[in-house]
Amino acid sequence: MFGEVILDNLDSFGQAYVTTVVLAVAAMALALAIGTVAASIRVWGSPIASGAAGFYVEFFRNTPLLVQLFFYATLFAPLNLGITSDPVIVAIIGLGIYTGAFVTEAIRSGILAVDPRQLEAARSLGLSQVQTLRLVVLPQAFRTVIPPLGNLSIALVKNTSIASAISAREILFVGLLVQSRTFSLEPFVAILAAYWSLTIPLSIAVSRLERRMAFSR
Amino acid sequence: MTAAARAIGSGSRRLGAYLGLAVLVALVIGLVAIGVLPENRWAPFADARVWQFLGEGLWATAQMGVAALVASLILSVPLALARLGAPRPLRVVVVAWIELVRATPVLALLMGILLYLPRTGLNLPPIWAATLGLTIYTSAVLAEIVRAGIVSIPRGEVEAARSLGLSYAATMRLVILPQALARMTPAMVSQLITLVKDTSLASIIAVPELLGFARSTFTFYGNPVETLFVVACIFFVICYTLSRISRRLELSRPRDVTPLVLGEEDLQPVARP
Repeated sequence: MFGEVILDNLDSFGQAYVTTVVLAVAAMALALAIGTVAASIRVWGSPIASGAAGFYVEFFRNTPLLVQLFFYATLFAPLNLGITSDPVIVAIIGLGIYTGAFVTEAIRSGILAVDPRQLEAARSLGLSQVQTLRLVVLPQAFRTVIPPLGNLSIALVKNTSIASAISAREILFVGLLVQSRTFSLEPFVAILAAYWSLTIPLSIAVSRLERRMAFSR
Repeated sequence: MTAAARAIGSGSRRLGAYLGLAVLVALVIGLVAIGVLPENRWAPFADARVWQFLGEGLWATAQMGVAALVASLILSVPLALARLGAPRPLRVVVVAWIELVRATPVLALLMGILLYLPRTGLNLPPIWAATLGLTIYTSAVLAEIVRAGIVSIPRGEVEAARSLGLSYAATMRLVILPQALARMTPAMVSQLITLVKDTSLASIIAVPELLGFARSTFTFYGNPVETLFVVACIFFVICYTLSRISRRLELSRPRDVTPLVLGEEDLQPVARP
């Protein structure tokens, strides 16, 4: 009967699903933190700091995620730096740094979209530079940046599958494990259904947001 | 700002991230020279045969990338046109296909093809199985880019062409698609970059491409961190060069043609200061 293999392995699939969500959420949090800082440096930093932030963006955007994950996995392994050998942590760091490069660019263009007169107005009202950023510029920048961030989080959910290559027990890894034990088509159906249950609602939400933002502008 | 800082600023704009890469490589060489980084692990890269070996892997990467790109470009136009104007039943199927493929991780697609394609009696060598997977994915994304490009052309143009007596096919071929394609170039190049990066996933299904060959290299020499760094730099030079070309194309475009950017990891539509 179809569904038997999935039901037999429901526990492992459930755990894998949770791992995928944890990977995506934690990596996005890291990416947002990195992106906010790097974008601020990119826009307001000294030429050298801004150049370094620019290099971070270009280097990590233009390098395959798989290469980056293998790199961290070996670099952090006990034989090298000995930081961690937990593939989930390595994957969160790798996905976070990779996605952070894209987030930086998104936030940077959001910052540049804020009218410079707002900045002047805030400064002449007596707000300090940091206050201006925190209270005036960044809140507005984040608003325009929400749709692209939504697209990035869809890409991020899909990218979590690459963590299977460093043996993080997420959906693809566990699905393929079950597949290799049963030779059934079902695990693959489960893999697809699991990813679709995350990416399709996200993309519907993003396209709604985009439509609404298009009206408000 | 001091003159030196200004010079660095303008120089770094011209050289872009190549300057950063040069600094990084110089730093590595310096650290090896003063003995902070282990010399024996970097020594293999002084051997031309290692580069020749990696070059062979790069050749397979290029084959996959070019084949998947050409096939995806060819497939994406009919997919986009079907989504826009096909009769309802076909349109529903095409929309479902495009959306579901785009919602699937590339690696899952590749694994699915690797595991289940042989069951249909079709036995492709791994490199072409991977190319098939990359093509399925990239054609769906490109179809959306093409569709957005077509939609961005004012309706009046279709009406004008049709009332001048051009057939639907001729209108598309002579009036709409050339303009749409011009606007889509940046988005397409950025999807090409994603494609080049995704070819590395093929190493997981035993395709002997750049990353796969690199893994053989570092297993032999025992220097994974160093080799992966070199591989990252190779990919970076290829992909960053592509992105610079696309930016140049964008800048040299006449002002009235608004570039349309809709690559999956693309962010430009937010702001054009």
